[in-house]
Amino acid sequence: MAALTEQIAMARSSGDAPARKTPGGLGDTIFRVASYASALLVLLFLAGILASIAYGGWPAFREFGPGFITSSAWNIGQEQYGAFVAIIGTVASAFLALIIGVPLSLGIAIYLTQLCPGWARKPVSMTIELLASVPSIIYGMWGLFIFAPLFAQFVQIPVSNVVEGMPIVGTLFYARVPSGVGILTAGIILAIMIVPFVASITRDMLDQIPTVLRESAYGIGCTTWEVVRHVLVPQASVSIIGAIMLGLGRALGETMAVTFVIGNANRLSASIFDPGSTIASRIANEFNEADGMQLNALMALGCILFVVTFIVLIIARLLVRRVKVA
Amino acid sequence: MSAEPAIQAAQLTGRHKADENAPIRIAVKDLNFYYGNFHGLKSVNLNFHDRQVTALIGPSGCGKSTLLRTFNRIYSLYPEQRAEGEIMLDGRNILDPKIDLNELRSKIGMVFQKPTPFPMSIYDNVAFGLRLYERLSKADLDIRVEESLRKAALWDEAKDKLKQSGMGLSGGQQQRLCIARTVAQRPEVILFDEPTSALDPISTGRIEELIEQLRSEFTIVIVTHNMQQAARISQFTAFMYLGELVEFGPTTRIFMNPEKRQTQDYITGRFG
Amino acid sequence: MASATHPTVPPQRAAAPTTGSRVRSGRRIADKVLIVASTIATGIGIVVLGSILLMLIVEGVKGFSPLLFTEPTPGPGSEGGGIANAILGSLVLTLIGIVIATPIGVLAGTYLAEYGRNSKLADIIRFLNDILLSAPSILIGLFVYTLMVKPMGSYSGWAGGVALAIIATPVIVRTTEDMLRLVPSTLREAGAALGAPPSIVIKAITWRAASAGIVTGIILALARIAGETAPLLFTALNNNSWFSANLMGGIPNLPVMIYQFALSPYPNWQQLAWAGALLITVTILALSIVARFVIKSDRAR
Repeated sequence: MAALTEQIAMARSSGDAPARKTPGGLGDTIFRVASYASALLVLLFLAGILASIAYGGWPAFREFGPGFITSSAWNIGQEQYGAFVAIIGTVASAFLALIIGVPLSLGIAIYLTQLCPGWARKPVSMTIELLASVPSIIYGMWGLFIFAPLFAQFVQIPVSNVVEGMPIVGTLFYARVPSGVGILTAGIILAIMIVPFVASITRDMLDQIPTVLRESAYGIGCTTWEVVRHVLVPQASVSIIGAIMLGLGRALGETMAVTFVIGNANRLSASIFDPGSTIASRIANEFNEADGMQLNALMALGCILFVVTFIVLIIARLLVRRVKVA
Repeated sequence: MSAEPAIQAAQLTGRHKADENAPIRIAVKDLNFYYGNFHGLKSVNLNFHDRQVTALIGPSGCGKSTLLRTFNRIYSLYPEQRAEGEIMLDGRNILDPKIDLNELRSKIGMVFQKPTPFPMSIYDNVAFGLRLYERLSKADLDIRVEESLRKAALWDEAKDKLKQSGMGLSGGQQQRLCIARTVAQRPEVILFDEPTSALDPISTGRIEELIEQLRSEFTIVIVTHNMQQAARISQFTAFMYLGELVEFGPTTRIFMNPEKRQTQDYITGRFG
Repeated sequence: MASATHPTVPPQRAAAPTTGSRVRSGRRIADKVLIVASTIATGIGIVVLGSILLMLIVEGVKGFSPLLFTEPTPGPGSEGGGIANAILGSLVLTLIGIVIATPIGVLAGTYLAEYGRNSKLADIIRFLNDILLSAPSILIGLFVYTLMVKPMGSYSGWAGGVALAIIATPVIVRTTEDMLRLVPSTLREAGAALGAPPSIVIKAITWRAASAGIVTGIILALARIAGETAPLLFTALNNNSWFSANLMGGIPNLPVMIYQFALSPYPNWQQLAWAGALLITVTILALSIVARFVIKSDRAR
């Protein structure tokens, strides 16, 4: 009997229902291919960036070899180029930015998650996040016109007077020309620029820690400091380090703000009050007037910057999995 | 731990008369289903009769939703899920890779556990499927939308706000909107995946009435957690357990006189 | 002290000092320091933003006049002038950037969230997109210089627009993907269950369900590229006159104008730079705030 009824099921045509045609067969394929191609384009952008600067920088690497990285020469007349001064400037300013920016960021994140009264949370976090959308050129102007004069008057001159003649600190903190601009100023401006990123990621990470954990720590009589130090920070540490690396990536590649306040000097100085230059600032300053080997040398600088930031950002992204768009 | 049947005989009268001679709409033969390495359905054999309501019951994870989701192959949205065997509909095996999935799904409607109104107006929600498969004039479209909303018992509530978003309706209304949307396509089979589990008792009652009315036109398969519901609205019941079909038959028989021990235990509330 | 007045109660923890709290002073100091330091850190953030805005308003308003919006930027050493050409140029460049980036970004984000859910390639693209999101923008300038300026033999608005598009794309990809992932999968299933092919499910249902989020992403991308300077230095450059409709040659734009004029020795140039800086910052902050409200109003619905 079952076999018979099955026959009916198989034989029964679609009856009164009109024959249905699938909509958009071709459109569907086009759409899928278009989105696939767009995704590949993202890869192509990154590959294109690397390829173009590697291609442009190749003559300089070939000409100067590994000495390009260790040489501090930058002589346009004699066509002698080396990346050392710019690399040191980049690393030093980014390092200073971290030293200053990380405690600030952690402080802000802790304030926002632990101490801030409820009503103030929204406006305060919004203020901090708005700092992230201020264009870097505005930070540059602020650094040069507002911060640098104050810094020269209240920090560089007094400190230089105190440390003059002392060993080590007398070199490190002595400003030959206390103009306010220099490596440390760049580091401070960079610090301010990375704070909103690091702070908001850290805040999100601290927010994700289950409240129970926090409450049980407070419940056994821990102070805020102890809760933060022994419970929250260890829980979120990997992500926080990732956030810091992300900030480092930004600091290494930041151009305009640094160009305003670093002083754009080509010489190496042991003092963090002295002007210097970074890879990005040197490219920004010289690229438009450059040709020949100078252009290649600048492209080669770009190549070094790419590799360094790429590595830093990869580490950062591996540590901070999928945080929200900064 | 009462051994008394959870469903009283009084609940199983009248409209619950199963028509065992009704033609078979869907024939499932030796169906196996896999989630990756997990064997979700184990050689299921089962027939669904035309214009009858068949309820799939069983404890959570027994495979009843899995079975339902093979009939329109919605599982194939997820690459790690696959089915083997045969599901015959209109003389064709719908598990055949060559089958046109979109066409298949236009013939087999589905209503989900949670209401799924699309982010568009009530009218556009109902017209969505129609616009895909039929070229209708504006007037014809209006007629079909009204007809569908009436069939879903939503017309009186919705007729004055057809242009408003479907998301603005109450939960029960949203679910009826989804039924209207499905009915509009004039499918052959409608699958209900626990359609009332997110609704209040009054909305649930309305949906159950609706299913009873829809039976005159459509073959209906409903997954439900709620045994009383299965008893109230279905003509046939299939009891599943651990990926296997334990027992299938007219609802009255399954509830009053189950053959298998497991079925007996389940409907009397000993487990599940 | 309680035990002293009630001798019947056995003294508890006789070793504990009866005066003072059980929290050692070291712990209290550490706690105080933390509270004070983190409050100060937050204060610094607020003060910096406040001082930036104050600087822009004080300096920028001084240079504000209707001429800003009618006159082109003046040549070196000449008097007066406005920034009308730079405003228009910036609008054009940003528009080109966002018009290129939006379809690419939305489609790529759609691929990552819809088609490529389980593919290795999508994982790689997602990862590298996040890298591109924070890549130094000056390198993108170098890329577009090599790609377009050198072969075409001239700076152009097109090159500038493409450079901005490359910066905007990863932002849009990321937000689009994130927002599409928030769309419940039952909605996709419901669309597919009606027999809609994937492209129609995406276009008519998931995009619509995620529209507020996607628009937010586009606005954020707009805010990001509106102030970008470094990539324009080598692509659109700048110009002190109106530009031709074919967008070839240096195209005036606010960020590079601000950069050049702020560091110039001419007082009227500096004035204009401040006015431009105020204009661009207010615009960008407004865009960022609008983006927040778009998503918020959607969540409230």
